[in-house]
Amino acid sequence: MLTTLKLLIPVFIPSWQFFNKIAASPRIEFTMQATAEKQTDNWQEFSRRPKQRSLLTIIKSIFYNPQWNESLFMTTCAERLISNPTEQASQEIIKRIKAELELRQVNLSRTPYLQFRLVFVSREGNKLQEDILFISELEKLEEPDHEPN
Amino acid sequence: MSLIEAIRLTEIFLAIALLQQSLEHLRTAQDERKLFIPRIILSILLLLGLWTPWICVLLLIQALIILKHFDGPYNGGSDRMSLLILSCLCLINFMPSSQLQGYVLGYLALQVLLSYFAAGCCKFINREWWSGRALQDLFRFSAYPASQDLRSLADHPKVLLFASWISILFELLFPLTLLNQNLLIIGLLAALTFHLTNAYLFGLNRFVWAWIAAYPALFWLQGQLI
Repeated sequence: MLTTLKLLIPVFIPSWQFFNKIAASPRIEFTMQATAEKQTDNWQEFSRRPKQRSLLTIIKSIFYNPQWNESLFMTTCAERLISNPTEQASQEIIKRIKAELELRQVNLSRTPYLQFRLVFVSREGNKLQEDILFISELEKLEEPDHEPN
Repeated sequence: MSLIEAIRLTEIFLAIALLQQSLEHLRTAQDERKLFIPRIILSILLLLGLWTPWICVLLLIQALIILKHFDGPYNGGSDRMSLLILSCLCLINFMPSSQLQGYVLGYLALQVLLSYFAAGCCKFINREWWSGRALQDLFRFSAYPASQDLRSLADHPKVLLFASWISILFELLFPLTLLNQNLLIIGLLAALTFHLTNAYLFGLNRFVWAWIAAYPALFWLQGQLI
C-alpha cells in the first residue's frame, strides 16, 4: 500500500522536467550460451531502432507504436537497475529479450542460457565513452509452449 | 467553454488516450494483456459517458495496479499526465459543488501550463541547451532517436541551436497564451506541432494523446480568467 502511494505522489505533484540534462544512455546487450559454465563474449545489441522509417510508418506510429514504447520501457528498466536495482527490472528486460528471440524464431533449445549487460554511453569532451555498468546473472530460458512455425 | 463541456471533453479525450495506450499492450505478454483488456472496456464506457463517476474510480484503481505491475510509470511523462487527468476527473465527479469542480479542473490546467513552463525553465538554466549541445547529445547517443538516420541530425549544430531556442521560448512563453482565446488556440496548435515533432523524432506518440486530453481544462481556465 505504502509503495503504491509512493508511486502516486509524483502523479499529483509532477516535476515535468523533460530532457533537462542528457545523462549517460543505456544500451542493452545480450548473449546466448549453451551451458551455464561456458562463458562467451559474443554480445549483441538489443535494438529495435530501424535504419529509417517510411512516411506511412511514421504516421502509423503516432497512433500505434507498441514496439518502440516497449524499447523505451526497457531503457527505463536499465536506468532503474543502476539507480535502484530490483530483480523485477532485470526480469522485465529478460522477458522482453526472450519474447523478441521467439519472434525471430531463434532456437532456444541449443542456447538456453541468456545473459544481458548494460553499456552506458556518455560524452566526455567531444568523444563518446562506453561503460559497462551492469551484467546480469545467467538466466535459463524455458522453451516456448509451442514450436514456432 | 462551460465547466460541464470542459469536463465531458476531457473525459472523451482521456478515454481516447487510454484506449490508444492500452491497445499497444495487446501485442505483449499474456500477463500484461490481462491488465489492459479491462482497461479497454472501461475506456470505451468512459468514451460513451456511461456510469462515468464509477468508471473513473475503476480506471484509477486499475491505473494503480498497472503502476505497481511495472514498478512505476511504463511510459514516463505520458503515464503521469494520463493519471493526473484521471485523478482530477475522479475528484471532479465526487465534488459536491460546481465551484469545487472548477478548482480541480483549474488545478489540472495549471499543471498543463507548468508541464511546458517548468520544462522550459529547466532547459533555460542549462547552458548546454543554450548552445544546442543538449539536443546534439540527444541525437548522438541517447536512446530516443526513433530511427538510426535521425542520429545524423547531431551533425547539424546550427539547426539544433535554432531548434533548442524555439523549444525553450515556446515552453517559457506558453503561459502567456492564457491572455486571449486566439492566442491560446495558436499556442495549442504550436503545442500540438511540438508533440507531433517529438513523436516523429523520438517516438513519443503517447504524449500527443495524453496532452490533448488536458487541453479542454486550459480552454475552460482561459474563459474564467479573462
